[in-house]
Amino acid sequence: MKRRNFVKNLALASVGTPILLNEMKFQTIGKKLFDVAKSAEDRVLVIIRLNGGNDGINTVIPRDQYTEMTIQRSNVLIPETSVLPLTTEVGLHPVMTGMQNMYNDGKLGIIQNVGYPEQNRSHFRSMDIWSSGLIDNPPATGWLGRQFDVDYPNYPDAYPNATYPDPFAISMGYETSSTCQGLMANFSHAVNNPFDVYNLASSGVLDDGTYYGSHMDYLATLIDQANAFGAQINDAANAGNTLSTMYDPANPLAVQLQYVAQMISGGLESKVYILNINGFDTHDAQVSTTDTTQGVHAELIRRLSDAIEAFQDDLALLGLEQRVAGMTFSEFGRQIASNASLGTDHGDAAPLFLFGSCLDIDIMGANPVIPDTVVNQAGIPMQIDFRDVYASVLKDWFGVSSTDIQALFEHSVTFYPLLGACNVGLEEEELAKESALIYPNPATYNATVRFSAMNEWVKVDIYDLNSRQVAQVYDGNLTQGRHDIPMELRDLPSGQYVVQIQKDSGNINAKLVKMD
Amino acid sequence: MPDQELGNGVSLSMAPYTGPWTKVEAGHLLRRTMFGPTNQQMLDAVSNGMAATVTSLLQLPAIGQPVAFHPDETIATFGSTWVNSVYPSDVTQAGLVDNARLFSLAAWLMERINSEQATIAEKICLFWQNHFAASTNIDTRAAYEYHALIRTHALGNFRQFVKDITIDPNMLLFLNGATNTLYSPNENYARELLELYTIGKGPQIGPGDYTNYKEEDVAAAAKILTGYLVDGLRSDTLTNVAANFTPILHDTSTKTLSSHFGNAVIPDNGANEYEDLIDVIFQQDEVARFICRKLYRYFVNYDLTAAVESTVIDEMANTMIANNYDVLPVLSELFQSEHFYDVSIRGALIKGPLDMLYSMLNTTQSTPGFDLATDSEMQLSVYWFADTMGQGYAAPPSVAGWPAYYQEPSFSKLWVNATHIKTRFDVSAFMTIYGGIPVNGNNWEIDALTFVDGLSDPYDAPTVIDDICDVFTPKDVDALQKLILKSILTNSLPDFEWTLEYTDYINNPGDPTYSDPVKQRVNLVLARLFQMPEFHTM
Repeated sequence: MKRRNFVKNLALASVGTPILLNEMKFQTIGKKLFDVAKSAEDRVLVIIRLNGGNDGINTVIPRDQYTEMTIQRSNVLIPETSVLPLTTEVGLHPVMTGMQNMYNDGKLGIIQNVGYPEQNRSHFRSMDIWSSGLIDNPPATGWLGRQFDVDYPNYPDAYPNATYPDPFAISMGYETSSTCQGLMANFSHAVNNPFDVYNLASSGVLDDGTYYGSHMDYLATLIDQANAFGAQINDAANAGNTLSTMYDPANPLAVQLQYVAQMISGGLESKVYILNINGFDTHDAQVSTTDTTQGVHAELIRRLSDAIEAFQDDLALLGLEQRVAGMTFSEFGRQIASNASLGTDHGDAAPLFLFGSCLDIDIMGANPVIPDTVVNQAGIPMQIDFRDVYASVLKDWFGVSSTDIQALFEHSVTFYPLLGACNVGLEEEELAKESALIYPNPATYNATVRFSAMNEWVKVDIYDLNSRQVAQVYDGNLTQGRHDIPMELRDLPSGQYVVQIQKDSGNINAKLVKMD
Repeated sequence: MPDQELGNGVSLSMAPYTGPWTKVEAGHLLRRTMFGPTNQQMLDAVSNGMAATVTSLLQLPAIGQPVAFHPDETIATFGSTWVNSVYPSDVTQAGLVDNARLFSLAAWLMERINSEQATIAEKICLFWQNHFAASTNIDTRAAYEYHALIRTHALGNFRQFVKDITIDPNMLLFLNGATNTLYSPNENYARELLELYTIGKGPQIGPGDYTNYKEEDVAAAAKILTGYLVDGLRSDTLTNVAANFTPILHDTSTKTLSSHFGNAVIPDNGANEYEDLIDVIFQQDEVARFICRKLYRYFVNYDLTAAVESTVIDEMANTMIANNYDVLPVLSELFQSEHFYDVSIRGALIKGPLDMLYSMLNTTQSTPGFDLATDSEMQLSVYWFADTMGQGYAAPPSVAGWPAYYQEPSFSKLWVNATHIKTRFDVSAFMTIYGGIPVNGNNWEIDALTFVDGLSDPYDAPTVIDDICDVFTPKDVDALQKLILKSILTNSLPDFEWTLEYTDYINNPGDPTYSDPVKQRVNLVLARLFQMPEFHTM
């Protein structure tokens, strides 16, 4: 999910754009850009969904508020002395030794109090919101699916192909993930066991434009895809390896993460893997009657913690740590006060975990504030908008441009440094070769395009979406370094344009929106 | 999305359908209301006419109860029902017995579908299982009673259904109603009652305000519903599980609902207070619209366009309200409407796993037919097939039911991702050409001979293929595909060779020398057909 792809697809998406198409080919053949981008291009994001609403307070425990927690939730409260300390204020549930180790190694990040505005306590609505990254609109697409749609238009019809032989995302298990729902199809490929061979029969049916026809077409495409993707996945699994001895075969999440490691190390080029753990909807019997450190919730987060630790260990042994990062999410946290059934009801915000060796954060945000009186139905208020976490991950990890990211979401995005620790060097090089900033954008009369050049000849032109050149901006030599070139837009009709910067060190296309 | 959707020329009329009534239309009706109609049932529907067919489809047959078959069932005797049997005193033993009962319940649910008559019974029961979506909990007797309750009300009064399900012991366990008390209200059931069971959630229009209800209604409803416990769980003395209203655990305060319910005030009414709440909720006509949308999506088409909403859904809801929330008149009108028979509706749904499996089995009249234990294990195997493909009948994935019935924008497409389609193909190959499900030395496979014997002219190869396509697929299969199927049937020989083979088989009853080749050819055709996309729609 690189800017390169965005540009390329802008070209493909707009009919009749010979120049941009030609340039796309040039870029691919030229290899220059490709090599630079490769390090981010290879990156993999692993997303683990904690389905049902995880009790954040019993996961990441505010050690500094035991008096208040005793008032609110004594029947499910973890004894203070059992908590695994991370800092003087923050601790983990005693079963999470794996994550405690990772934290101490700098490979676990915690973002406190993540949620969305005006929390809605329905599982389904909340999961839709988290999956889509949209609050106002009906959730027709997933947040990753929208980015994939930008990067890979005409999916699924034109895929797989020689350039993209692998599925873009893998959803472990039997279901595709709604985070990857695109406009036409889901970008994730469900894989239960990558060693299972695919060889399905197919038949040709025409889409006659009816519901039926669309289903025929969908099924036929799916069958072809299943065969092609299945073979790729199978090859990768067979070619791959896993080295850690820490995976517990009785832990389903560990088994699935081991498959993921196997596929990544085998060269599968899928960018996203989505895994799922069910059972977090702990309205009752969240803790055992005799020991609040045991019970359903403890077992779930033990599996989570153990499995992620084993996976990270494997990545280190396989030399893949720089390429793989992970994130958890759950549709909501639970209420501050427990109920009498040794459980907790649907709440609001909760902590979210990041893991990997490229983290910018350890613990981001302060502990939630636990009041000293019970307020019926109260949850933890949101401090970090989950969409900003998504946006920051896309920016840091996949190098998607801020403008493109903003276009995926309804609100004004705030970026946090989350996963950029391995980007040193990469960013500057990329900036020189493939990115340009246009400001303001959208623009009215004037705008500036900022980019970097070597000592070289540079030509800057503006094209409309029909590939007609509508303005010449600059034509001459530029010294090494960053340049701000003014653009006069007064004569352009309002609409979308592409600013094209041609130079030896790599051509750049940037989207410009002109408004009156 | 299809290009045409429900655009020009598509009838949105709920007026009685008066067009042609052939196997095509009758087949559409039966495929949507049953799992897998046989050729004969389709022919009967044609000769009986639409109105009589709908009337007869909307009658629910009397049925039996699940019976003990599993060796771990140590209380009920083999072959008798366990639904009113106690449990062993020993906790471990009781666990084993409950597991045996769960297997029996699951096998029974499958056996019900597999032995369906020409009625909507099993299809509408699955609808309600998806609607209320309760899994089994602790005591399978309670789970059985829950499924029995679904059967009781399946075509009856929706309001009464919701009332009864509210204090159904299995539901009280499933959504924590049994731990919802004055001292610690548990909102789980109250929330789903509003969000998923009755009025549905609208767009959020303010803090805690979901158009049709507010957060405060959830809290008030939870209080109204306080005080019900469940007695008899895995009891070694009580022969059934029962809801037990316990006054001291009931919140006796006066509850006030939000403006969305006219600020209705619900004073303490003890054990009957839940009925007062449900009566208030049902005063909102949105309840009728909500359930009619679900019925429409399940029986007709997932695509609820604005035009459908303002015509078909409006009319269905009006009918429901005019009939005091009875379900039967709504379905009767729907299944006789012009809209239902519009050509755009045919094939508009992708079969769910249970539809897929039992259309394969029921249309070919394939039932196990061995002994009780063997048959039950075989049905259980199909249960697990469906579960693997994403539809374990007794355990929907969440309280909202199966995503394919509600998740926009893909809906029924969610049934068949790349993994599931592979499983579908594997299972269909297994049931046709690889010998079927083996249990205790017997195999349950597609009954190819009975199936082909029941077609209109089994001697004639082209007719056999036409019939096969008619019963299994919602629209015409194209000529090339039919030709391929026929060449499989005839082994690429002239058609008359099939006629000779079939004649030999009929003239030599019981002789495998003649029956085996016929069976093999039909199975090969079916194996191919079951891998064609056409078969996976309805």
